[in-house]
Amino acid sequence: MRYRFRKTLLRALRALALTIACVVVLVPLSFLAVNSVKYDRDFITVPPKLIPSEITFEHYRDVFSTKRTVRIFRNSLIVASVTTLITVVFGTMAAYGLARLGLSARLLGLIVFIFLFIRFYPRITTVIPYFLVMRQFDMLDTVWAIIIGHLGITIPFVAWLMLIVFRELPIEVEEAAVVDGANPWQRFSMVVLPMTAPGVASAAILTAILSWNEFLIAASIARRKASVLSIGVASYITDQGVQWGEMSALGVIMIVPMVLFALSVQRYLIRGITLGAVKG
Amino acid sequence: MAIRSPPAGQRRRKRRLSHDWPWYLLFILPAFVVVVAVQFYPLAYSLLLSFQDWTLTASQATEGFNGLENFRKLLSGNVFSRSVRNSAIITGAAVLVEMVLGMALAYLTVGSSWLIRSVRTVLILPMVIAPVAAGTLWRMMLNSRAGLVNHLLGFVGIDGPQWLASAEWALVSVILVDIWIATPFVLLVVAAGITSIPGDLKEAAYIDGASRRQVFLRIELPLLAPLLLLTVMYRTLDSLLSLDTVFTLTLGGPGYSTYTLTYFIYTLGLKSFNLGQAAAASWMFMLFAGSVIGLTFWMQQRLQSR
Repeated sequence: MRYRFRKTLLRALRALALTIACVVVLVPLSFLAVNSVKYDRDFITVPPKLIPSEITFEHYRDVFSTKRTVRIFRNSLIVASVTTLITVVFGTMAAYGLARLGLSARLLGLIVFIFLFIRFYPRITTVIPYFLVMRQFDMLDTVWAIIIGHLGITIPFVAWLMLIVFRELPIEVEEAAVVDGANPWQRFSMVVLPMTAPGVASAAILTAILSWNEFLIAASIARRKASVLSIGVASYITDQGVQWGEMSALGVIMIVPMVLFALSVQRYLIRGITLGAVKG
Repeated sequence: MAIRSPPAGQRRRKRRLSHDWPWYLLFILPAFVVVVAVQFYPLAYSLLLSFQDWTLTASQATEGFNGLENFRKLLSGNVFSRSVRNSAIITGAAVLVEMVLGMALAYLTVGSSWLIRSVRTVLILPMVIAPVAAGTLWRMMLNSRAGLVNHLLGFVGIDGPQWLASAEWALVSVILVDIWIATPFVLLVVAAGITSIPGDLKEAAYIDGASRRQVFLRIELPLLAPLLLLTVMYRTLDSLLSLDTVFTLTLGGPGYSTYTLTYFIYTLGLKSFNLGQAAAASWMFMLFAGSVIGLTFWMQQRLQSR
């Protein structure tokens, strides 16, 4: 009797804790969504209006009426997709090469350490000289400067992730291809990549999210022409005050694609995040 | 003979594969070029910069080496030490709460019913949201008059603080947002760790009459220890590096009360364009981060060899 009571109580507490956790995640997100369709006059009311008196899409219209927003949305799409494409190609190639080169365990360990180090050291250390280099090449405020900056982070990261994947792949799977006289490129692209497709998908997803959300490198490079969404969202906070409505609208525009994307590929996303931590 | 032949065959195969080493070097080359050009070269550049006197707004070229002057100025200035202190408080508090909360949530979301799976889906959302957007979102939530947080606190009779306008509460706000963004990461990693523990190990302990708490303390925690250590390192460094949330939430204010190390270096280098001092500060930061990474790996190896 007492045991059953305790079990029911524990179950109720678990449900309560998880409900609170979900509320803490969902309420701020809903608040942002609601704010993006509120009239300006509803922002300053005390108490705050959870449900606006009237719904308006004027902030979305205002945001998209300027050429600037169209441009930064397009820039973000270009940066994230080009970065992801190049990263996946070069990163997986490098990982495969490293896995098959027959390096000693010690040397491979050192390379893995360098990859991890690049992922975690203070990025600001390289951003300032990177800014100076791009200034010298007259590439400030270009989309390519942002892409190359992102590649510096994402390629080592993907190479590290895929190295874990490839190391687990038994060399025997390539045997038949070797007998058929396939060269390493053919073995890589026609045997190894299809077999590790889920891992490649995880790597691509993590890269796309990182590049879409990235702020530091973009902010150091972009001035006007190459501005991206993360800079756009931050730019509504000025010394003169904050334009709540437009900031919320642009925030929603930035968040929604990534949330939908993450939900549709959730399995690979989770696998990618945990793979490195559990097996690395 | 028959028994010994497979290893010999394998050796031959290995030789055949590594015979293609020029191919493999070619595979590595593009990544190598990018890493050298975008990581190693800037690193060396900033190390040299840290010993030079160069403010871009005053001069187009460096004004020459000035020894340890940059480091001396930084260490004697107030803002640098204030930023270091703020960063230590923010990261220390945030990582501690994230680890405890993330582990608790990981244990609470074990299971594969559709309800639990949807809960997990909801809980990982903050992780995919741009930190810049999360900062702006919480800036609205924490607004002392029109914000939702104080409104909700009012329901339970609490008169909420001036979150972003008072020095202490602004620091708390930055910590809260860090927790909101990063707890899902701990949750995911710990959950993966729990599921990778073989079930029969725990079963055997239960048969021997171990309690749930004993199983956790004696079996799960030791097995998870290397993973938890790595997670603490991940979170510590990522939290120290984060610029986006401070940038959109408080802009370092009020005053210098939420200046973090990264935010300080960013404004010094890319707003005031004091390149020499910014590089010097970033290299001090770098040495610290490097020792954290080194220490973690060292502890990791000790844990695994135990």
